[in-house]
Amino acid sequence: MKHCCILILFLISFTSQSQNDPELIQINPLFNNEHLELNKPYFLASVNDSIKIETLKFFISNVQFFQDEKLIDSLSKKQHLIDLEKEKSLQIEMSRSNRLRYNMIKFSVGIDSITNVSGVFGGDLDPTNGMYWTWQSGYVNFKLEGKSEACSARNNFFQYHLGGYQAPYKTISNIELKVSQQNLIVINFKIDAFLNGIDLAKSHSVMSPNDTAVALSKRFQKIITIGDEK
Amino acid sequence: MKNSRSYVILVVLIATAFGFSKYQDLQYPDYFPVPEYNFDNNRLSDEGIELGRNLFYDPILSRDNSVSCASCHSPYNAFAHTDHDLSHGIDDQIGTRNAPALFNLAWQKSFMWDGAINHLDMQALAPISHSGEMDESIQNVVLKLQQKERYLHLFKEAFGDTPISGAHVLKALSQFQLTLISANSKYDKVKHGSDLFNEQENKGYALFKANCNSCHTEPLFSNYSFANNGLIVDTTLNDFGKYAITKQSKDSLLFKVPSLRNLKFSSPYMHDGRFRRLNEVLNHYTSEIINTETLDPQFEQSIALSSNDKADLMAFLQTLNDTDFVFDPKHQFPLNKSKNPKE
Ligand code: HEC
Ligand code: HEC
Repeated sequence: MKHCCILILFLISFTSQSQNDPELIQINPLFNNEHLELNKPYFLASVNDSIKIETLKFFISNVQFFQDEKLIDSLSKKQHLIDLEKEKSLQIEMSRSNRLRYNMIKFSVGIDSITNVSGVFGGDLDPTNGMYWTWQSGYVNFKLEGKSEACSARNNFFQYHLGGYQAPYKTISNIELKVSQQNLIVINFKIDAFLNGIDLAKSHSVMSPNDTAVALSKRFQKIITIGDEK
Repeated sequence: MKNSRSYVILVVLIATAFGFSKYQDLQYPDYFPVPEYNFDNNRLSDEGIELGRNLFYDPILSRDNSVSCASCHSPYNAFAHTDHDLSHGIDDQIGTRNAPALFNLAWQKSFMWDGAINHLDMQALAPISHSGEMDESIQNVVLKLQQKERYLHLFKEAFGDTPISGAHVLKALSQFQLTLISANSKYDKVKHGSDLFNEQENKGYALFKANCNSCHTEPLFSNYSFANNGLIVDTTLNDFGKYAITKQSKDSLLFKVPSLRNLKFSSPYMHDGRFRRLNEVLNHYTSEIINTETLDPQFEQSIALSSNDKADLMAFLQTLNDTDFVFDPKHQFPLNKSKNPKE
């Protein structure tokens, strides 16, 4: 009797698995249309110089699926820390039924204000991940660091730590993307486009909530696109 | 095996039936308001509190294992830093602000003199990371703790069989600090009906209610808001308080209203520790208020207090000193740990 149950359970899980291919959101940071690699020199046209990215870390939060503006489903895990140093973090599993139909995905880059004022959390939000400011409360939504000869800072090092959850320096950025039903949603982050037009000689360090952080956070809506299914 | 399991189930059943649990609630008098702190995200337990107490007194949280939280927040000073106007950190560096007393933190809405920190859990990151205070990183603190048998045990007791995380360190520190409740001063005994104010204290109480209670609101003796109480700017520090955080001119020179409990233990006073004695504070309020753009409207007319009034007010303020709190062994250095605190 007992064995029979286990067998049935096994069969059910087996069949349901084969029907549902793993569904993934693949975050795809790009530089000049190539998959971005850390510490590799690229050419940044807007400063006419070479550039290396050393750190790219950011939060994706509140991923939701819509069909014609109607909310169909949302991911139960609310915040995902994407860290280019950890390839696995670029994949977000969608543990949802693929019978649902959707044609739009919405999410935020950054951490919402409720989470920002609710104390400490573990996992992706753990303060050891280096995405929390220490002298003034708040998560860093997006961290981009690297080097370029065009940057006049010490060691040519530039660092953009974008965050701030309170007006007038609210930096969370809401993204909407049209998608077609697929098992793998590729979301491009065009980092060259993010840097485009920033004068690295002048504006190379953003380390707290301020006007520049707000202005740079507005760029996400332009640099995030749906990629091709691979 | 089977037996021990059913025993556990039995205990759990009995515990639930009688409303016992591993978790404990914060104990505070019924005339206190509802705490601001949300305990749902960090349930207090004996083990969590004990772990937090060990961390609070352990210099392992600093870069060279020289400075603990208690270095600047001593139990005998109601967890303030006495004898130093400005705090004193690693490598004998002097900070820019006076270390505040720590008690009744569960009722506080924001932390630091300028409100830079929005939640008690997050507060400890500031001193741990500050180059002039403990000069360490939470990442490294976790690595150091993971190598200590004693802490592996304490964390397991408090948070179960998961690796030590930054969140655990911060939650434990909060748990201990939340238990620092000052509610047993003479004022409290009068509230409970087990003691009476004398005539002078009663007069002082009336003066207090007329002049001070709007900001230093009883029973916590602060409304934990921000105000400009007319202190002249110390040009060696140029500290503009809340303005540093919001960068809005309306917040210039606003500082968090401190509680007036335990003043006997927490001298010196104000964000920069400029006053050593309470009579200097009273003189400030009666005759040294500086009128700037953001001065609290209450001070536009100066507070008039005769020297008798001052003595009465002082007598009332003495009733807010809570010796039981300051000498409570539950809040002090955990003696049960290894003899050498640096170990
Ligand atoms: C070098 C001295 C120093 C050390 C070490 C130190 N603090 Fe403090 N603490 C201060 C000062 C100074 C302030 C006020 C800072 C400000 O307003 O900017 C403060 C503020 C606080 C506050 C906010 C209180 C309030 O009323 O807003 C808390 C809570 C606190 N400290 C807890 C801790 C804990 C926990 C530790 C150990 C992890 C610690 N402190 C280590 C000096 C210190
Ligand atoms: C408008 C609000 C307001 C009123 C009214 C007020 N205070 Fe204050 N008080 C403050 C603020 C704000 C601070 C902290 C200022 C700073 O450090 O820059 C403070 C600080 C103090 C301190 C220092 C406490 C410490 O731990 O450093 C004492 C003592 C004090 N006040 C007593 C009084 C008395 C007594 C009265 C009534 C005569 C009074 N206050 C009225 C806002 C007020």
